[in-house]
Amino acid sequence: MRFHSDLKNIRTFAKLTAAFSSLEKLVWLRLSDETAHFTVVPDTGSQIWSTLPMDFLFENCTIQSAEPGNTINLELSLQPLHRALKSAQNSISASLRLTKKKGVPVLSMTITTTTSRPSHANAHAPPRPSHDDPFGFDDDHDRTHLETSLRREHEKIITQDIPIRVLHPDTVASTVQPALQEPDVHIQLPPLLQLKSISDRFTRLALASGSGSSSSSSKSPRLEISANMHGGLRVRITTETADISSAWTDLDNPELDPAQLRVPIEEHPSTKFRDRGPDAWASVYVDGKDWSRVLSAGRLEGRVIACFCHNHSLVLYVYIPHYDDAGGDDAVLTYHVQAYSA
Amino acid sequence: MAVLTFTLSEEGVTAFRDALNCLSKFSEDVSIEARKDTFFLSTMNTSKSAYASFRFATNRFFGRYQFQGSGQFQEKFFCSMYIRGLASLFRSRSGVESRGDVDKQAIIDRCDVAIEDGQGVKSRFIARIIFRNGLTATHRLPFEVTMPVHAKFNRQEALYHWSISSRTLKQLVDHFGPGTEYLDINTDGDHVNFTCFSEKTISDDAVLKKPLHTSIAVETDEFDDIDVEDKLQIVVSIKDVRAITQHAAITGNAIVARYSLPARPLQFSYASDAISCEFLIMTVGERGGNPSQRTKKGRKGASAKNTNTINAAVPRLEETSRRTSAAPSQTTSDAQQQQATTPSMPPPPSSRQPPNPTPRLSAARASASRIGAFDFRPSQRPPPPTLRSESLFVEDEAWEPVRDDDEDGDEDARLEWDHSVDPTNPSVAHMSRADDAGRSGYEPAEEAQSAAAESTYLDPTQRLSDVQGLALFPD
Repeated sequence: MRFHSDLKNIRTFAKLTAAFSSLEKLVWLRLSDETAHFTVVPDTGSQIWSTLPMDFLFENCTIQSAEPGNTINLELSLQPLHRALKSAQNSISASLRLTKKKGVPVLSMTITTTTSRPSHANAHAPPRPSHDDPFGFDDDHDRTHLETSLRREHEKIITQDIPIRVLHPDTVASTVQPALQEPDVHIQLPPLLQLKSISDRFTRLALASGSGSSSSSSKSPRLEISANMHGGLRVRITTETADISSAWTDLDNPELDPAQLRVPIEEHPSTKFRDRGPDAWASVYVDGKDWSRVLSAGRLEGRVIACFCHNHSLVLYVYIPHYDDAGGDDAVLTYHVQAYSA
Repeated sequence: MAVLTFTLSEEGVTAFRDALNCLSKFSEDVSIEARKDTFFLSTMNTSKSAYASFRFATNRFFGRYQFQGSGQFQEKFFCSMYIRGLASLFRSRSGVESRGDVDKQAIIDRCDVAIEDGQGVKSRFIARIIFRNGLTATHRLPFEVTMPVHAKFNRQEALYHWSISSRTLKQLVDHFGPGTEYLDINTDGDHVNFTCFSEKTISDDAVLKKPLHTSIAVETDEFDDIDVEDKLQIVVSIKDVRAITQHAAITGNAIVARYSLPARPLQFSYASDAISCEFLIMTVGERGGNPSQRTKKGRKGASAKNTNTINAAVPRLEETSRRTSAAPSQTTSDAQQQQATTPSMPPPPSSRQPPNPTPRLSAARASASRIGAFDFRPSQRPPPPTLRSESLFVEDEAWEPVRDDDEDGDEDARLEWDHSVDPTNPSVAHMSRADDAGRSGYEPAEEAQSAAAESTYLDPTQRLSDVQGLALFPD
């Protein structure tokens, strides 16, 4: 079993791992010639199933596996992976290699980098802007800086060994993606930072009022998320003392591609919802904290389509554009949001 | 009558606070020692494996400085204080500062300190803090009059040294992930390797809980000056190095490391305008490799001297190993080795004996003896939260999931591995936290182990004269 590849889009890769790790510690990575699948399945809560074209994150890639379809299944913990990718940001080059160190399989990341020269960044800032700022520096030592700057250009080789576990195909066979239904409503979500800050405020509000009256049954508040086929989205929280909702209008309900559908477009549930007018809402309840973790997907800066099955399920599709190849396939993250019926 | 009065300017307050912050990563108490021309802040950690000191040049650092020696404080004044209490006076209000001009007034303009002590006078550290908005706050802190313990470093013994820009070093250290314990510094030809690793034993099932294993190869040209033995491995606590580099990077000047052999102290030092900082940390491990090859840059013509210095070093080693018998105990990890070497090895008749033909062995012996008295701390607390907000790795807070206060611990747990989880859980198939279920067995065992290690420490009631010859107390 061999895997070796140079890394590209490291910033996006790091953002991906950050979004994943908001839901779970571990990720299952399936590599094949064409695609890389990242799957995050926590014990409880929302799941992420993602499909990335191989050239989205990797280049000059070599995969050799005895498994059918030349696939490699790995399980790795996200925190070290994320940390290693952060190390690799702003590097000259970085590559990833499956190897063994002291008999233990690791994913070894080799990073070539220089030490950054932060001096010009805040030359006019006060001597010590904030306590944690490592770049806070005073101007008294210009001479030293000039002297050392000549030396800064030296390259450094950083090796980050990420612990992994190689999974047998039988092991992963039992993990299957939840079935997808034809949605009642599909809608493009407003900017996720907006949606997240409002949702989070509702969640905190409910938490605060819940702790006041200790009788509150569920510890984590449930938000009601609803959408219609006429560009409307609502987020609502109901507590014993308050009932608040925020509404968005004029959002986009993208057209469906009839070729992709299992039923004729006229019979599709969303067509029926559209016909029933703007008062036909598809709603689900979500766990406030889990929803907040899901909305961390916003850091990926992709387009997000939400698919509602009324009183049943909510699935988010996050499309991350292929930056350096406009014609290439987008990466898609599918969030199966943990949903509750009324 | 005040024994000591001084004034800190705005910058002085900041520098003072930085020093206290750094000291607080080593210990809970700070020793203050004041003389006419110097002012010391220093501390030693509880396991006596690390010592930190800051020396302030009184004429340049303080706006006003007056020492009135009398009674027992004729020569110098000394006391010990709780760091957090002291540091909280100078706490950064940076969060407020950034908000706008109105709040900027809450910046500390200066601070007048008077220390009162003597017969019929309460021992008090009185700090009058004058804010820019005209507000004045006066704090009176109690202190304890205890003689500070200073660790001494024998520069003659430190054969090897290097120096590098503190910011470069800080940026290197920033690449190390959380959860590791040790930093291994070694040279290999024209590269210096910094390797961060953990020695926690982890079962096969918990392999994914291992921390990131990081190594960085730095060209020797990157160093301002370097003279070390090739392949010599020096292992120190990463936590201490983090604390040091974090502070050193504030000054931005070159940081110098001096050391000799494993299990001997390593000194980090650097200076800024009016402050000079010195840290001594114990190194662990054993000597390996070839003592004659050295990686060198900077100074020319010193290579001929090498053989001499090494020969000179050997008696020193012998001398230290002779004291082995005085060392009361060792850690469990080294106990076996100690038993294997010491009894079979009669104390050398004289420290003047010719160079030991097997320096490797004697070094190992020295290491075994050393560690007992001056141990590496057994149960390291995780680095304080401030360490997590590291320079290169600023997280985008807005995308963090919502959390409420009572779940903070939970959130942290989610990001970092819990090493106490039952490793016997075989559920590989289920790729998730199934192992959370069986939280038993492992932790108590680990505790018992560390308790066992604890019991072999130097007894705190040991008299100072008994430990004088060890580690930080060279005679």
